[in-house]
Amino acid sequence: MSPTDAQRAAPLLEIESLRYRYGQRLAVDGATFAIARGELFGLLGPNGAGKSTTLRCIAGLIEPDAGSMRFAGAPFTPATSGADRARIGAVPQEIALYGELTARENLDFFGELHGLSGAPLAAAIDAGLALAGLADRANDRVKSFSGGMKRRLNLAVGNLHAPELLLLDEPTAGVDPQSRNHLFESLLALRAAGRTLLYTTHYMEEAQRLCDRIAIIDAGKLLAIGTASELAAQAGLPGADLEAVFLRLTGRSLRDA
Amino acid sequence: MSTLTTALAMARKDLRLYFRDRTGMALGFLLPIVLVVIFGFVMKVVNGGDSGPSRATLWVVDQDGSEASRAFVAALRSAETLRVRPAADEPAVDEARMRRDLADGELHHALLLPAGFGATVAKRELPELRMLRDPDRTLEQQLIAIGMMQAAIAALGPDFAEAFTTRMLERAGLPKEWRERTTALARGFAGGVRRLFEEKEAQASAKAPAAGSAEGVSVAAEPASPSLDPADFLGQLVPVVNEEFRPPERPRQLTFMLSHSVSGIGVMMLMFGLMACATQLIREREEGVLPRLLGAPSERAALLWGKYLFALLIGALQLALLFAVGGFVFEVDFLRDPVAFLVASFVILLAITSFGMLIAAWARTSKQAEGLSTLLILVMSAVGGAWFPLQAFDPPAAVQVAMRCTLTDWAIRTYQALFWHGHGLRDGDVQTNLAVLLGFTVAATVAARALFERRYVRAA
Repeated sequence: MSPTDAQRAAPLLEIESLRYRYGQRLAVDGATFAIARGELFGLLGPNGAGKSTTLRCIAGLIEPDAGSMRFAGAPFTPATSGADRARIGAVPQEIALYGELTARENLDFFGELHGLSGAPLAAAIDAGLALAGLADRANDRVKSFSGGMKRRLNLAVGNLHAPELLLLDEPTAGVDPQSRNHLFESLLALRAAGRTLLYTTHYMEEAQRLCDRIAIIDAGKLLAIGTASELAAQAGLPGADLEAVFLRLTGRSLRDA
Repeated sequence: MSTLTTALAMARKDLRLYFRDRTGMALGFLLPIVLVVIFGFVMKVVNGGDSGPSRATLWVVDQDGSEASRAFVAALRSAETLRVRPAADEPAVDEARMRRDLADGELHHALLLPAGFGATVAKRELPELRMLRDPDRTLEQQLIAIGMMQAAIAALGPDFAEAFTTRMLERAGLPKEWRERTTALARGFAGGVRRLFEEKEAQASAKAPAAGSAEGVSVAAEPASPSLDPADFLGQLVPVVNEEFRPPERPRQLTFMLSHSVSGIGVMMLMFGLMACATQLIREREEGVLPRLLGAPSERAALLWGKYLFALLIGALQLALLFAVGGFVFEVDFLRDPVAFLVASFVILLAITSFGMLIAAWARTSKQAEGLSTLLILVMSAVGGAWFPLQAFDPPAAVQVAMRCTLTDWAIRTYQALFWHGHGLRDGDVQTNLAVLLGFTVAATVAARALFERRYVRAA
């Protein structure tokens, strides 16, 4: 799907004035954006910018203090609605797997947790193992896997129940180039299959390589949204690479959050 | 996606994880069994068990070396409650060594038979003995007192009826200034006693074959020492007819302490085991799996119910093994009333599991959970009588209140009612115990559910 197509498509997820506060700190401050069906949408920001908090609101792990969300045109309240949570899949930043279980057992358990059973579960497990490139290690315990293998399985678990929207929170943190490349190819394959993806990262080259559109977020505020070239134009740096645009928009001060 | 399906999936996954850690699983199952067996044997020994009553060690220094003092030491050796040192084949010890070892805490009781013991006895007077002792060893002091009484009666016998009687009359309140009159009274009584014993011995020697008979069999005299049973012992002084009541349902091999040990240690170890199951929830949070679990479409509380189910299954397995092995080792049928046992065990499991869930839901880290649960379990085990049967000793009111605030007390009372008293589910006390345990389960579960919502779901 080209960016133009993505912009034209009907939005799958619409976020309106989303706000979330951790105590005194405003983590997400009025974020508004929409993700088209079939789009790979990037949320780019420095550490502590509010990317993960935004994702947690969408995943239903926390309830926003204010704002609204719509999914396929209907109100979306995943924090309280299991049916809404069933429409999304999440790949958390941590390796959310059981090391003492095998790859197949992990997929089996999380599949059951999402209501899969019998033949559909078996098919989903096989598809997950293929997506992770771990078919030949299916019966090995996850604790014996490398960091990259765990990351790939982490992705496969999030995608197991074929969610309409897949949320990925910095899924390439700490992986080797081969595994990162495998993850990229997996994500592009998912997009090609019509899956909608929301991807957070602070790696510019990842965002530029993968995402149809990118939203730059800092200190909880959404600073700009668009394709890489549109962002460059918005920052007054036409033709510049994403890193230059990012630094222009977010400044050069260190972020320790 | 139903709550039950999610809870079952969670429980199945936790069981898989539990059984995968073979060493951890073996420890989880073996440790309670080993402890119950050890405590059971220890309690059997303390309580007398199959091999007679417990004995206290008494060191004896014979400073007289007379025939009378040696006879007294021999009588001490045959007392049921004493283990006399040095043994007959060990070298004698002296007073200085006894004093040194007592001061060092190496030994706790030493009896000195002073020089002149034999001469005093020959005058039909009671010799004054000296006991060197650690005053804090009160339990042994009772055993030693009984043993010395046995020995005194056996060694000095009817010849001392006059001296014993005089002493008892003075102990009963007659003034020492009346000693002459008291002694005269006692002498008349003692003379009668002596004549009766002489007559008895004459009859006995006429009937019995002579020692060293043709068959080479020597006949030992019947021990003159009184029985250790307090009721029988009392019966030799005042007439007491003992009527014994033993619930017919009580297994023949079961002693009170054994029954208590299996119940008490079983409950305590169950608490430790189920606490480990409950804290798995915290580990899932610490290892980052929780958000993925909470992202599932089912009701979030299903995660908690899954842990309940898992802990209940492991607990049931532990209990079944515990009582099966305990029953086999001690030859006791704990499953006399299987329905009552199953119902009581299920309620006890529910209460302990909900206690574990409450701690797991409250704690923010696994260290907090482990620290708090260890503290609470040990305190509840001590106060609730899991280690020592406080329930049987009518403790002060404040202690009784403290006991009743512990899960262990209610659980142990329930098992004791089944095993020891032979009660069933229709018994009022059993019903009260189960009602209290169920009440605790409901309260703890409601609190755990609320804390889970606050500390796991909303803080995810």
